[in-house]
Amino acid sequence: MESSAIEIQGLEKWYGAVHALRGVDLSVKRGEILGFLGPNGAGKTTTIRCLLDQIRPSTGTIRVFGWDPKRHPTRVQEKAGYLPGELRLEGSMHVESLLSYLQELRGNRIDPDYLEDLVGRLDLDTSRKVKNLSSGNKQKIGIVQALMHQPELLILDEPTSGLDPLMQQEVYQLLREAQSRGTTVFFSSHILSEVEALADRVAIIRKGKIVEESTPGQLIEMAMRRVVISFLKPVDCAPLEDVDGVKLLSHGTEDQVTLRVEGHMDQLIKSLAAYPVKDMQTASHSLEEIFLKYYREDSKEEN
Amino acid sequence: MFVEFKHALKRYIGQILGWGTGLALLGILLISVYDSMADQMDLYQEMVQNLPEGMMAFFGGQDVMATPEGFVAMEFFSYMPLILGIFAVQVGTGLLVRDEEEGILDLIMAHPVSRSALFLGRLGAFLLATGLILVIAWLGIVVPMNWSTMSLSLVEIARPFLSLYAVMVLFGTLGLLLSMVLPSRRWASMISGLVLVVGFFIDGLGELNENLENIAWLTPMHYYEHLEAFDGLNTGWLLGLFTVSLVFTGLAWWRYLRRDIRVAGEGGWKLNALNPLTVKK
Repeated sequence: MESSAIEIQGLEKWYGAVHALRGVDLSVKRGEILGFLGPNGAGKTTTIRCLLDQIRPSTGTIRVFGWDPKRHPTRVQEKAGYLPGELRLEGSMHVESLLSYLQELRGNRIDPDYLEDLVGRLDLDTSRKVKNLSSGNKQKIGIVQALMHQPELLILDEPTSGLDPLMQQEVYQLLREAQSRGTTVFFSSHILSEVEALADRVAIIRKGKIVEESTPGQLIEMAMRRVVISFLKPVDCAPLEDVDGVKLLSHGTEDQVTLRVEGHMDQLIKSLAAYPVKDMQTASHSLEEIFLKYYREDSKEEN
Repeated sequence: MFVEFKHALKRYIGQILGWGTGLALLGILLISVYDSMADQMDLYQEMVQNLPEGMMAFFGGQDVMATPEGFVAMEFFSYMPLILGIFAVQVGTGLLVRDEEEGILDLIMAHPVSRSALFLGRLGAFLLATGLILVIAWLGIVVPMNWSTMSLSLVEIARPFLSLYAVMVLFGTLGLLLSMVLPSRRWASMISGLVLVVGFFIDGLGELNENLENIAWLTPMHYYEHLEAFDGLNTGWLLGLFTVSLVFTGLAWWRYLRRDIRVAGEGGWKLNALNPLTVKK
């Protein structure tokens, strides 16, 4: 049995002259939740759509549970539940008829009790016409149809877009439950708190390439942080700059220094043992700040 | 494939009933008019003879207009390809691309339905819907004929409908093919519509103008039989229309299996994106 749910290697995609994906390499293990982040236009949706054979890669290989989506699209689609980022539904249909039609497309292999449970938990009114629903309620249909066949893989493009905070929490809960059944979840999001709360691992895509792949905790740990150290008496801080990953930002007063530390704090703390430290304050970084770093780099290059 | 066929057919129910009933009512009206004119056929013949030559050319000549088949051909079948062609073009161009442009196809194609099954299911629904519209229209002529002085057999009436069906299928599949290779559905409708309308007039006026007659054989309308069909269909022409439709379908299917599906709101493809010389493989 394949240990990876998704295996992407050297994935490139050209749209005419536009090089949308520039060699994406990514692996998603079975049963993990991977948060896929990146600025708009970075290639998130293009990558996701390649997984489902909606668009064809220019080069590179994709395997979903060992299957090539281009050669065996229906094998992949059988195992996957998908929520598009731009969810559009047939407005003239009633929610109930739409769900029945989508069930039929899946060969009616749906547990009706589970479907009923999903509809109830998301508070979805199935008697209404799709066109009369708010965008949040349409999103609920998208979530129900993605989950209803209890797929082995969930591919969700911004799953909680348009949902109120209570429903967002319900969706997180549904995804955690799916994971506990062994489902792999691959989702993109702009809500960093969502990624922090849900994802086992995070992959950041920028300009069509994966630029970071780690756990949220490791990302935060490896990020640069600002450290302010107060000493009991004025000291010579110059030796601290020789510590790996440390940069001296300022001497506030002679008995206080501000440092920027990249990576672990271990070396710095060991070096500080030689100093009369009175206090040390560390500003913790959220995933959002890390993401914004990549985002800003994009904007700078564009400007 | 059957699920998609059934779903697509459900979506056409309104169109089947609307177009079918409309045409059936037109048929009933024509039969009633024919009966009311039955004892005044001389006057009708006189009126027909006074029609402009150009108009007469569309209807196959004036000598047959006072016959039942001439009357039905002139008043019903002569312009039907133009009207129903619009239906065929609209459905053909929208068969897959309408949902694609609206973003609905994205979700459907995430389900375990192969591209071929989706394509064939929807094509089948189009073929059946078109057939049903014509069957309802046919009933609109043959049922009131039971109480009419018009004496045409069921088969005689069915023949021009069969030729009309072949033309509709051809324009539907042309629209489908163009929707697969052109940047948007709008473009595909526009060009298919142009082929339909221009072909109709070139063929119609071909009898008056030698230059047009020389190129009329290039238009699908040239192979549509209405008045002549009452005596028997030109099997070669009929099969020719279906064969061209099959070629269009094959090319559209081939293209659909290989192309990317657009995201909702992405707009049309740029033509250079479809040019094999500019697309990097």
